[in-house]
Amino acid sequence: MLVFFSDTDCDITPKECAEYGIKMISMPYTIGDQVVYPYVDFEEFDDHKFYDMLRAGTMPTTSAMSEEAYCQYFEPEFQAGNDILYVHFSSGTSNTFTIMGQAVDKLLAKYPERKFYHIDTLGITALSYNIVLECADMYKAGKTAEEILEWAKVEVPKFPMYFFADDLKFFRRSGRVSGLAATMGGLIGIRPIIYLNDEGKMVSIGKEKGRAKALARLVQYVEELGEDVKAHRVLIGHTDCPEIVEEAKRLLKEKFGDDLNIMVNAVNPTIGSHCGPNAIGICFHAKHR
Amino acid sequence: MEKTGELDSLTFAAMLRQGAVALGKEKNTVNDLNVFPIPDGDTGDNMHMTLKAGCAALKDNLGTLSEISSAASSGMLLGARGNSGVILSRIFAGLAKGLQGVIVADTQAFAKAMSSAVTEAYKAVPVPVEGTIITVLREGAAGADASADLNLYFETLLSAMQISLDHTPELLPVLKDAGVVDSGGAGLLCIFQGMNDALCGRISEEELAPVSTPSAPVVELDKFDENSTLEFGYCTEFLLRLMRSKIDLETFDEQVIIDYLNQVGESVVAFREGSIVKVHVHTFTPGVILNEMQQYGEFLTIKIENMSLQHHQSVNQNNASFKKPQQQYGIVAVASGEGLINAFRELGTDEVIAGGQTMNPSTQDFLDAFARINAQHILVFPNNSNIKMAADQAAGLYDKADIRVMPSTTIGEGYYGVGSVDRSLNDIEAVVESVNEIMQSVSTGMVSTAIRDAEGEGVTVHAGNFVGYCGKRILSASENRLEAAKALCERLDAASRDVLLVFFGQDVPEEEAEKLVADLTATYKNLEIMLNNGTQPVYDYIFVLC
Repeated sequence: MLVFFSDTDCDITPKECAEYGIKMISMPYTIGDQVVYPYVDFEEFDDHKFYDMLRAGTMPTTSAMSEEAYCQYFEPEFQAGNDILYVHFSSGTSNTFTIMGQAVDKLLAKYPERKFYHIDTLGITALSYNIVLECADMYKAGKTAEEILEWAKVEVPKFPMYFFADDLKFFRRSGRVSGLAATMGGLIGIRPIIYLNDEGKMVSIGKEKGRAKALARLVQYVEELGEDVKAHRVLIGHTDCPEIVEEAKRLLKEKFGDDLNIMVNAVNPTIGSHCGPNAIGICFHAKHR
Repeated sequence: MEKTGELDSLTFAAMLRQGAVALGKEKNTVNDLNVFPIPDGDTGDNMHMTLKAGCAALKDNLGTLSEISSAASSGMLLGARGNSGVILSRIFAGLAKGLQGVIVADTQAFAKAMSSAVTEAYKAVPVPVEGTIITVLREGAAGADASADLNLYFETLLSAMQISLDHTPELLPVLKDAGVVDSGGAGLLCIFQGMNDALCGRISEEELAPVSTPSAPVVELDKFDENSTLEFGYCTEFLLRLMRSKIDLETFDEQVIIDYLNQVGESVVAFREGSIVKVHVHTFTPGVILNEMQQYGEFLTIKIENMSLQHHQSVNQNNASFKKPQQQYGIVAVASGEGLINAFRELGTDEVIAGGQTMNPSTQDFLDAFARINAQHILVFPNNSNIKMAADQAAGLYDKADIRVMPSTTIGEGYYGVGSVDRSLNDIEAVVESVNEIMQSVSTGMVSTAIRDAEGEGVTVHAGNFVGYCGKRILSASENRLEAAKALCERLDAASRDVLLVFFGQDVPEEEAEKLVADLTATYKNLEIMLNNGTQPVYDYIFVLC
């Protein structure tokens, strides 16, 4: 049997895991000296409380998982004679996948008849979430791992996500966005527009003055790059800025109609630690990223 | 000194001092000659402080007329504040240039020096405007009678200056509209009247108040009260004269002192020149150090300051003793109000000079700020048109970095300018260009209280009204501050803008500012509004629209 894995950096929640039969890997973040595993150390993610804490000055950090931790997730499945399909967040944003690779190599040496498939969503949060849900739909419909991988090869590069954040100190500290101007633009309302490129890396591709213009530009990308937008989910990921989300929904529905399949998700705390509060991103189906 | 065929250095020094005394008495009258109904650029204060800095540089009056006049000129050059102060410093620089090599001056030599002062004054302003201080100087010098003795020269000089001053409203419509004469010209006349008094032997009894050094640290005693804990220790500085009776001067190695200081203190800077050791150290127990030092010598000077009390600025000064690695870009900005100063720091400003409308920083203040920054290029944001000349003057005097004075005339332009200095760019010209570009897209509006009646653009202002204005354009007026603020936003076409930064001043309750933001948010749906507590004086609100 094929067991579907995903991780909390992809924003998948326990509710969907139950619905689709997905096993979840919890990606930790650290506050002070306390390591927190999402949905292990808490049942429900209180995004408002978490991002308020960041607004008040808390700066969480994130760290890669250990080889043993990966073995603990995967080995029981191999032991039970199951194969694994892991749809995960971008390997371009973390070195945790090098460690995972080592764990998987060891396990496959021990269980040579077992198969490990993985799909790199080349994204984080809403982008990964969108792809995980597409894959999960196929998984639920009984598609094989090979079929899902075949789909992903063509389709993963067709899910872009464009986003902007309020406070760049989070991004700057994590050093994971290239092309950012070395200014404190957030304090004067200058919002860099960032997207995830084909290698799953975050790149700043311009800037806008003020949230309204920045949001209009995100929606403009949906219009200009979009392909079969309405045949897929449009995901709006945000870090506790419901008013901006409402405005984004309004703008999107104005362009694409009220029947546009919009899903809103709270960005998980681990990724949220890198982008800070009041960030919003839109992931949609497109000609290219 | 009734008889004055010739002018010597002692007389000239007395004249300068009496000029400062005379202006000191009249400076508020000069301040009030303001074309704008909001307190700004205090001309009287600026000229007075500039001239006092010149007098302070005279020390003990020793030297020839040439030496005394150039000493006064250098003092004024560094002490120059505000545009009127800078021009005044250039007038006296011209005078000193004209008196170069002169031991005592006769009337003709002094008249010649006055022409040199006129030339220099006109060179000080990029676009000379008639009806200002330079006109009063020029017409005064032209109308003075140089054919007789100095007394007559000054008499005729003063009456020509007075006529010229009275005529300034005819040359400058803004003066006429406001019903005033030019404040800089009035200040200059006042100075020359004082100089004439001294020339005629009328030296005022009162002592000149000692000149405070331009960047004297501001001590706030409340910052260390009965319940405080000594968190930072004492900044301790002294000059120690090594004594032959205590040590062998020839073989003594001052390293023992430095090693000791490093054990018991921090931020140690110590060096020896001859038999004097100069020490700077931060310590919790200055007494222990002083006792220890006395085994080597005796103190020449001692200065001990509780660092909890020191103004931020002087803390920075002390930290300057740590050799910072050179950075490519340094930023200096002028702002007043703790909140605004912090906002500028947070934005990446290396040195914030406290100052603004009511207190224009001097050339020396800028030079001090430059010296505290170790950078290849320093971008300066004066944030006020009356401060730019002092910054320019400092830029011309400083040679350890490439100084770029940015044309920011408002807090808003400066704030956006600083916020867009991209330190990742390698090309200074590209940095300057992007800063200029964003500054041009910013408009700054201010809400303050009118000190007298005035006519604005479609609004009538009564003294005591809250007025909203942009540059010299008065755009709103109301007895209600919120109404004046909201009307100003409308006049500034906030609806067509993307971002509004609101800095509320020290006299505004936070609840009122929050109410204002809530109202503006409801009115301007697409405007991102960011509220900051600027705690600035004079302006109840500063609006920055981009």
